[in-house]
Formats: sequence, C-alpha cells, structure tokens
Amino acid sequence: MTTAPPIIETRGLTKRFGSRTAVSDINLTVPAGCAFGFLGHNGAGKTTLIRMLVSLTQPSAGIVKVNGWSLADHRERALARVGAIVEEPRFHAHLTGRQNLRVVAAARGPRAGRRIEPALQRAGLSDRGDDRVGTYSQGMRQRLGIARCLLADPMLVILDEPMNGLDPGGILELRGLIAGLVAEGRTVFVSSHLLDEIEKTCHAVAVIDKGRLLAQGPISQLIGDTHTRYELSCDQPQAALSLLAGHPAVAQASQAPGGLLVTLADPRAAGTVTTLLIQAGITVTGFTPIRTTLADRFLGLASRVGGNK
Amino acid sequence: MNGTVAHQMIAADMLKLRRHRPTMSTAVLLSAGIAIVYFAFIEARHHGNLAGPQALSDGATLMGIYFGAFATILIGAEAGTTDLASGVFRDLVATGRSRTALFLVRIPAAITIALSLSLSGFAVSVAAAYAFHGSAPAPTPGLALEFAAWVALATVAQATLAVGIASLTGSRPVTLIAVIGWNTVATGLLYLASFLGPVRDLVLLIALGDLFPGQQVGTHAHPGSSIALNNFKLPMPAVTAVLVILGWAVLPAIAGAWRTRTRDA
Repeated sequence: MTTAPPIIETRGLTKRFGSRTAVSDINLTVPAGCAFGFLGHNGAGKTTLIRMLVSLTQPSAGIVKVNGWSLADHRERALARVGAIVEEPRFHAHLTGRQNLRVVAAARGPRAGRRIEPALQRAGLSDRGDDRVGTYSQGMRQRLGIARCLLADPMLVILDEPMNGLDPGGILELRGLIAGLVAEGRTVFVSSHLLDEIEKTCHAVAVIDKGRLLAQGPISQLIGDTHTRYELSCDQPQAALSLLAGHPAVAQASQAPGGLLVTLADPRAAGTVTTLLIQAGITVTGFTPIRTTLADRFLGLASRVGGNK
Repeated sequence: MNGTVAHQMIAADMLKLRRHRPTMSTAVLLSAGIAIVYFAFIEARHHGNLAGPQALSDGATLMGIYFGAFATILIGAEAGTTDLASGVFRDLVATGRSRTALFLVRIPAAITIALSLSLSGFAVSVAAAYAFHGSAPAPTPGLALEFAAWVALATVAQATLAVGIASLTGSRPVTLIAVIGWNTVATGLLYLASFLGPVRDLVLLIALGDLFPGQQVGTHAHPGSSIALNNFKLPMPAVTAVLVILGWAVLPAIAGAWRTRTRDA
C-alpha cells in the first residue's frame, strides 16, 4: 500500500433525504495514485456519495477531505485539481465541443484555458472540436467529458459509471485511458456495477450496499484468493484421491463432477502434486487453478443476492 | 475570484447566450425587428410626418416596457437557467468555483446582451426620428441620449430581475410567465387602480415610468393612429423611483444567489 496521504478521506459521511438514509456513516479512504473501484448495485448510494465528494450536495453529517483539504472549509482548494463526470456527462448541446470546454475552463482559471487543445487531442476529439455537441454520439460525449476532467490537470478523476452505454471498443479505450492516467500518478475513482471491468481496471475497491460501506481495500486482499484451489482431471480419479488425501502437500481433496477438487497446503506445491500423480502412473489431463473473482466476493457481500433480497 | 477569471466567466456566459439561436433570433425580432416594423407602419400611416421627439418616446417605450423588455426578460431567463437546464451547472460547481460567483457572472452577461439588443432597437427609433420627422422639429441629441439612458436603465433592471427570478425558480417558462405577466397584465391593472394611491409606486414599471424623459404622462398615441403606448408614468419623488428600481433588481438577485448556493446541483 502507498504511504502517501489518501486523496479521498471521509469520516462518518451520511446523507439523508427526509426519513430515507441514502448514505450512512461512510469511512472511506482512497489511496493516491491508483485506480480505485467503487462498487454497488444500482441505488446502493454510489452516486449520492460521489455527489457529496464534489460538493454537488451537502452531507447531512460527517466530513469529506479531498487531497487533504476539508471540503466544507476549503472547497475551492479541495476541488481545484479534481475532474469529475457525475452520472452521464452533460453539455450545452448548442455549443461546440471546444466551446463547452471553454465554458468550464473559464470557471477553473486561465491555466485551464491553455489545456483545452491538449485535452481535446488526448480525448481524440481534435477534429470534431468545432462541431456542435448536439451532433456527438454517446461515446464522443463520454470522451468530451474526460477532456473536461483533464482541464483541471487533475490529481483525482472521478468517473461515475463511465462504461454505461459504451460499445466494447469504447470500453477498451476507456480502460487504456484510465491506465494512462494512473501511470501519470493521478488517481482514478471509478464507480460501477460492472465487476469484471473494475477487476480489470482497478487496484483497490470499496463495496457499498444500501448506503453502507461493506468492505474496502486492495482487490487481491478483498478477494482473499490464496491460489491453492485446483480442479484436477485424470484417468484414475479414485486412485488419485487416495494418493492425495493423506499427502502433506494437500490440505483437502474431494470428488467433484468431472474430476477432483484439490486444495493445496501451500500455493507452491502444485508441481509436487502433479509429479506425484505422474509417478504413480496416473495420466493427468487437466490441473486448473480455481480463481476467486471480484464478482464472487462482491456477490457474497452485497445484499441483493446472498439471501438478503 | 480575480478580474481575469471574472472576465472569462462573463465571456463564457455571453457565449452560451449568443450561440443559443432560438433565444437570440426571437430576441432580435422582439427588439430591432419590432422597432423596424413599428416605425415602417407609422411612417406609412403618416407619410413623412412622424413627430421626431415622439418617435424617441415610442422607441424608448417599445424597448423599455414592451417588446424590447420581453427580449430582455427572455435573455435574463435564459442566462439564469441555461446551466441548470443543460445539466452543466453540476460540472461548474464541481470545479470548486463559488456558487455565488457562478450566479453573479450571469447578470453582466445578460445585461450586456440585452443592452446590445434594446439599444439597437432604440437606435432604429433614433434613425426614424431624424429621418421621418417631416414638418415636426428634429429631436435634440441630448433628448435622444436621455431616452437611451432610460432604455438602458429599464433594460438593466429587468435583465437583473429576470436572471434573479430564473435562478430562483430554475425554470425558464415559469420566469417568462411570471415576469412578463407581472410587467404587462398585473402592472397594467395596478396602474389603473388609483384607489391604491402611493402603493402603486412600488411597481417596477411605474417607478421606471416616473423617470421616463419628457412630459408624456400615461397613455399617449399618435394623432390619427390606433397605436397607444403606455409608459406607466405616475408622479412620484425621483428618489423613491430609484429605490424601487434598485429593490426590484437587487432583491430577486439576492434570492437567485441564495437558491444557486443552496440547490442540489
């Protein structure tokens, strides 16, 4: 884990709408310089929390610190180097892409104005910058939204469900863009319910459900995958089971459809096990690691599945 | 917020307004367009005998109270709601820029655009006053300037009022109906309700009417013409008129700023 101060820190963050609590007592810590996934079902409270992070709505209780600055006391400083797309990116449809960037750059200050061209270029919109946004596709609007984020020369980029509505090519592009931003030392905070995408894109995640934070940390730590579970297929499953059951390199072995399920005592013992079987004259046709995915972990945590419907 | 940022933000707000074709074309039609039609009609009816100073009075009334004012209110309503309606307000808030600043820049932007329209409409009446005065005396430049200043005052007050109300309600239709309805129907009724006495001095157009240059009082019309332009002039102390106008501009602006600061983006 990084030793740098967190780029986002919330303590007891709560948002109530009348009697309904949308976000409850969230203590979130987002390390700087990584891609951070924010997971939750639709309606879990992701967007409400993001709206509080960029001061679009006031918390009912709790504090938010962005880049070390309290949002309540130093809003302008806290958000000066934050770029955000909250929900879908919105623009003045009657203005061109370039003019839309000029509108936001004006609010950010003169330096942001000089970043308009590089931002358009990076978003791949240089040649469409003078077209009215009303003529843009959803993917182009998403890219223009990213360009708008870049006007801040952001240390933190917040993307709320950025993959929504993108085709596979667009998703791939976005994945590359996020990786590029992280490589430059920026932090990208991505909310999504697309678990596979988050697992591919992010280093760490937080899981929110019904407004409560269920877990947070590096993905590998959250998944808790010890890399010791394997699926074994061979020509003599019974003989293999007897051989492995009492072996010290194997913690557990059991029959499963199509072969055996083997749990190693040590993740480095995979070679020992296959050698043992081959030396015993057993033909091993498959020895495949079983990975625990982020989806497995998320579905175990979140309430909509897992018996808490 | 320093001067450079303020200047850039005002320019950005003006850009949004200038590029909004439906609003701008309607506003141009309501200001210079209507002025051209009006004076062409009057000239056609009076065959080169249009009274010079009367043309200035008519032009000022058209721009400060009637169609030019509608254009001003349209511009103000657009300036006050365009960020909210497009959804860009949240992106502007997310820059960390103070919401009060986001509100305040709308006022000079709206005023600048509205002034350019109402004064260009008034310029048509100045041209008509000099070109078609016929046997009537040509107006003095001083009188033309007086009327222009009054048009500017009426435009600034109503643009600020419209931006304030639009920022308060967040709705362009509600703003248009409320402000134009108040300025036409309600003001017309209150103007005629003499039993209300000095209470009527608190109405914006009546206060503006008090500062209207020249001697025209109440409804006036070109001799032989069916057109009658009411400049809502009632006698009141000039200080009262100024304070009332200031109140109509400042109080809605305060309300609009407050709503911009407190609304969820």
